[in-house]
Amino acid sequence: MSDWRRRWQRYRRQNRVLVGLYLGLLVLTGAGFALFSRLSGLPSEDLTNRLLLFLLWWFDLTLIAVVLFIILRNLLRLAMERRYGILGARFRTKLLLSYLALSLAPTVVLFVLGVSLLSRAAASWFAAPVEGMASASVQLAEGVRREAEARTSRAAEVIARRLSELDGDAARLAELERLHGLLGNHLTTLYRGGVPVVELVDPRQRPLVRVPPLEGAALRSSGVRGERHAGTLVVRGWQVLNDGSVVLVGEALPPSLVKAQARLAAAGAAYERLKLDRPTITATTVLGFGGLALLVAFAAMWLGLYFSRRFTAPLLALAAAARRVAEGESLEEVPLPAEDEVGLLVSSFNAMARRLQAREDELQAAVRRLRTVLNAIRTGVLTLDSGRQTVLANPAAAALLGTPELVDTPQLLDVLAGSFPRLVESIRSATSGFRGSLTLYPTGVARQVEIAVVALGTEGQVEGWVVALEDLTQLLRAQRQAAWSEVARRIAHQIKNPLTPIRLAAERIARQSERRSPELPVVVEQGCAAIVEHVQAMQEMVDAFARYAKFPPLTRRPVQIGEMVQHVVALYEGVRPGVQVQCSDGSGGREVLIDPEQFRQVLTNLIDNAVEASPPQATVAVGVQWEGDEVVFTVTDEGTGLPGEDTEVLFQPFYSTKGRGSGVGLALVQRIVTDHGGTVRLENGPRRGVVATVRIAGEQR
Amino acid sequence: MVLAALLVAAATLADLEVALQPAPGRLTVQMAVGSKLPDDWTQGLSAGAPVSITYRLRLYRNRRWLWDLRLASHELVVKAQRDPLTGVFSLVSELDGEILASGQADTLDEAIFWVTHPPSAELALPLRHEPLWLFVRAEFLTRYKLLVIPSTVGTDWVQKAVPESP
Repeated sequence: MSDWRRRWQRYRRQNRVLVGLYLGLLVLTGAGFALFSRLSGLPSEDLTNRLLLFLLWWFDLTLIAVVLFIILRNLLRLAMERRYGILGARFRTKLLLSYLALSLAPTVVLFVLGVSLLSRAAASWFAAPVEGMASASVQLAEGVRREAEARTSRAAEVIARRLSELDGDAARLAELERLHGLLGNHLTTLYRGGVPVVELVDPRQRPLVRVPPLEGAALRSSGVRGERHAGTLVVRGWQVLNDGSVVLVGEALPPSLVKAQARLAAAGAAYERLKLDRPTITATTVLGFGGLALLVAFAAMWLGLYFSRRFTAPLLALAAAARRVAEGESLEEVPLPAEDEVGLLVSSFNAMARRLQAREDELQAAVRRLRTVLNAIRTGVLTLDSGRQTVLANPAAAALLGTPELVDTPQLLDVLAGSFPRLVESIRSATSGFRGSLTLYPTGVARQVEIAVVALGTEGQVEGWVVALEDLTQLLRAQRQAAWSEVARRIAHQIKNPLTPIRLAAERIARQSERRSPELPVVVEQGCAAIVEHVQAMQEMVDAFARYAKFPPLTRRPVQIGEMVQHVVALYEGVRPGVQVQCSDGSGGREVLIDPEQFRQVLTNLIDNAVEASPPQATVAVGVQWEGDEVVFTVTDEGTGLPGEDTEVLFQPFYSTKGRGSGVGLALVQRIVTDHGGTVRLENGPRRGVVATVRIAGEQR
Repeated sequence: MVLAALLVAAATLADLEVALQPAPGRLTVQMAVGSKLPDDWTQGLSAGAPVSITYRLRLYRNRRWLWDLRLASHELVVKAQRDPLTGVFSLVSELDGEILASGQADTLDEAIFWVTHPPSAELALPLRHEPLWLFVRAEFLTRYKLLVIPSTVGTDWVQKAVPESP
């Protein structure tokens, strides 16, 4: 995102563009209207009034539009946010409505009160006393003028009547001059033929000297007229005589009086003008106050929205972060600066986020390491949920089972039931710590697999299961080959041992026969006896080999193990003088699923070895007991103990330390125990002798 | 008959009488306000307040398929003010800001007659290809509805077809 785009979005967010556009349009429109009005030739007063009214209208209308726009936009936005369930919408709605109520209600009250007060004030300007004064000032000015008009008209009438009674110009002029002085006229003029022939002027009334004569049309009939002249008011009244001449009497009002009258008249006219403009004044007042109220509402609303956003932003950011975490997203810090208690909350949240993030990173690293190990090891690992319904495999397990789809996504365990029913059955029925071996056929080829099942979590709350599959096919094959090699070597050794005396006996018989020795019958007898003895030993060895090779499969059934052990031990009473075989039954009479015939063979072989290894006057102790879910057999003798070599070699077939026997006894023991899913171990006793321990999983009944 | 009666009634109720006298390139407009002027206007005049009547003249070209085109707009403003000292009414008429005529009246009736019967105004007429219409209105003063909504007090617009010049 470019810098300009970011700036634009920031400015747009802050509504500066809107305000700038508004002010710019206001100025431009006002200037344009002023220019238009000026060009129209309006008087300056009208221009001012119209411009002011227009600007106020513009101001009010645009403010109303802006306020409505802000309100509607925010209400619409909040409605949409509430509809889509955006976090914080309800809180912001409450804040906005509160701000609207708090800002609009006082503003409306203020507007109504202000308009009412100003209307009353405007009404008081046009109250009756003011009206009376204005009217009286006009009437006074007119009264003074009309008084002067009456005086001059009356004087002109008197003079005209007197002159009508006289004959001759001389007498008339004398009488005119006498009456001019007698009546105290400021101006007395006699017109004849429309032309002033005599003009008498009071020398104290200089403005009257330059008063222009009346036009002829006006002199056709009597009349009176007031005119402004030289800073004063000149009132002239005239009277037409019978002979057509006109007597005019003029009077100049004192300039100071005229000035006062003029001021009164101007004030009255201004008042009348003001009265005509009263609606405009009222409209201007209302519009001005309306604009002011709208401006206050606009400012309050804007500030309210700004502060609500500023106050709620950190909280909403916190809530949004918490919500994202609840929805499974990774925890992240809230990048909002705040310095108050909200800031403390934000910083605490961020500290918690950092700490949890560190832990999550460690956990992720551990998971990666574990995944790497699981991917790298050759042991197959299956992970299951607590209900053992779904299964996920590592690559080794997937390769072993031939199901690569198990690597990426968990699958139902049932998908394995078709191909590996015994494996699935073992997994579902196994308890934690179960170990066993299975033969699986993933691609039609038998594979020997050792299985170990471990539960995850605590004993009371299982969180999942882990199944380890160890493919022992190659190992068993190698061991089998090694065992066969060893068997072949030992058979050869076993066969070689009797062959030598047989060959020696045969050679001795042959030599005695060649010499025709008289001892030949004795030699033949002795040699044949030796040959028969060794051939019989070889026959026994071959029989043992056949028994080991033709070992029957297990036939399990519930057996009271304690009772079986007691029966076996009873067979050894007095078998060897001085050696006592004792039985300790701790089985509690419980049953175990075993093959009783084969397991009796195990006990017999172990007790045989113990009795044979025991010195005279010794005791062989045979015990059986439960340890958890396992049943444990122990056979303890008081002999010389193990020869000190690897005990595993003692379980190999045809290995014997006794110099006699077939050497398959312990091998049979291990094979039977292993087929039962158990273990057998030989170790030296605490003081002397050997302790043979057999453990099998107790499928007790 | 009803239509004729309505037309007669409308004619008698007309507030503004307009007479047109065409001449080549010019149009002489004679106007006369027939209705009674507002009382506050008359009282203001008699009390010495400056008052005026504005005659608005708008010349339109009538177009058949489009809206009418305004060709010209004129204002004839007739101002009147009484001098309380002399009792004389000063009268001035201005057409588009240019003084057309001036005069004095000694009585209120004369002054009102003067302003309601202004001197004729001569307007320039363009070359015509389509009918021309003249709209005339007299405005006396401005009042306000609901305190703030301006409303001009005056006559209705009078529409006159501009006749062909002889």
